[in-house]
Amino acid sequence: MNTNSNVYTVIYTTVIVVIVAALLAFVSQSLKAKQDANEKAETISQMLTAAQYGTKAELDKLGNAAKLDKYAEEIEKAFVIDLEGKELRELNIDRNELEVYSPKQLKRQNYNIKGGANKTGEPEIPVFIFKNGRTVVPIYGAGLWGPIWGYISFESDLQTIAGAYFDHESETAGLGAKIKDDPSFQAEFKGEKPDFAAPQSEIINIVKGGAPKDAEGKSVVDNSVDAISGATMTSQGLDAAIDTWLEAYAKYFTANKPAKEHCGKCGHHHEGEEVEPKAEEE
Amino acid sequence: MDAKLKETILNPIFKGNPITVLVLGICSSLAVTVTLKGALVMALSVIVVTGISSLILSLLRNTIPGRVRIIVQLVVVAMMVILVDQILKSFEATYAIDKQLSVYIGLIITNCIVMGRIEAFALGNKPWPSFLDGIANGAGYGLILIVVAFFRELLGSGTLFGFDILNRFGYVPNNLVILPPFALILLGCIVWVQRSIQKDLQEK
Repeated sequence: MNTNSNVYTVIYTTVIVVIVAALLAFVSQSLKAKQDANEKAETISQMLTAAQYGTKAELDKLGNAAKLDKYAEEIEKAFVIDLEGKELRELNIDRNELEVYSPKQLKRQNYNIKGGANKTGEPEIPVFIFKNGRTVVPIYGAGLWGPIWGYISFESDLQTIAGAYFDHESETAGLGAKIKDDPSFQAEFKGEKPDFAAPQSEIINIVKGGAPKDAEGKSVVDNSVDAISGATMTSQGLDAAIDTWLEAYAKYFTANKPAKEHCGKCGHHHEGEEVEPKAEEE
Repeated sequence: MDAKLKETILNPIFKGNPITVLVLGICSSLAVTVTLKGALVMALSVIVVTGISSLILSLLRNTIPGRVRIIVQLVVVAMMVILVDQILKSFEATYAIDKQLSVYIGLIITNCIVMGRIEAFALGNKPWPSFLDGIANGAGYGLILIVVAFFRELLGSGTLFGFDILNRFGYVPNNLVILPPFALILLGCIVWVQRSIQKDLQEK
């Protein structure tokens, strides 16, 4: 048989590609359940990290089941809101049917928040309130090579960032990947106060060359952190992702912010007022 | 086992090692050798990919149209890499490692060892020797990876497989060792040692 004829070549490559595609589709489908379970446990450990229930390395020592246990134990309430800050529905926090938002779901909501051709519906963004009084919200956006996402936790005042954890699909190892791998970068977000009154692009600033500092090296601006050297595009992408998502939550945060001092005049109840921040669990 | 088959297996481990002699797969050996666990998983993945791709392509070797042979090789290698990645993602024990190795598992496809051995050996030899050649080349690559990772984890983090070793004695981890350039220095040292043992590799 002439293996060099055009007909043979075309048929041969077609058959090979179809077989390989079918095999990969089959394997991908049959392993999907297991992969989703792993991804869910990973998402949960990222949220727990952001809410300061331990470092990522400590939480990763727990198995999948233990992560789910810990989350079910520590979660106070989880629900979905719209851009007006109105609660749409509760998320299941029952140990065996935990509902969290996978990166894929965040991607869909990211399109919904931004609008445009990829919009599939009205935004439904999740809020996770933990028993230590911290509120965790996700962020999602584009890095240099692929999507980046993460979780930011707020103290019970809903103004101060308590912690953050970021993850990415394919940022450059050693540079952009530092948003995930470098705990000191994530630690920079602690204590920052996003400026919800500012224009969207300035809610949080990730500043190349370093955030403004005083003579003692302390940050003087409440909503600025240092960018990563050699990772300009990833830093900008993360900045934009945080700005977009925090703006989406701005109305919820403002409406549910506990009153600074107890004022006798306002009789209505402020949600979150009674929640006392518990000591950090290390 | 005849001498030729033995040579096929033993040659890539030391005398014709893909990293130190053929200088293939350098990029990933710098990237994944920060921890022993990562290096071990990477080594096993490459062994599986080189072994099975060589086997499949050797079985197909007489049917592959010459003009599209590289594309056919690519399809098979890509399939193996995706399979390995999917399987690593599915198990609780390997999921974290897969996340840590991130893009490098997917980049096995660009590892010159895989395509190099298929082109140079599998397309001209019977399936069984081709399979062994693939496994042996993967193992030769893995061996260097593990040696480099052993020193990098020990000196860079003071641990081995995550267990404290040097840390127990008040060792301060050296951050330079964690960075990729140190892997290159270590590789250089390994090549140096090998060439001083194997005089025929020395250039006049």
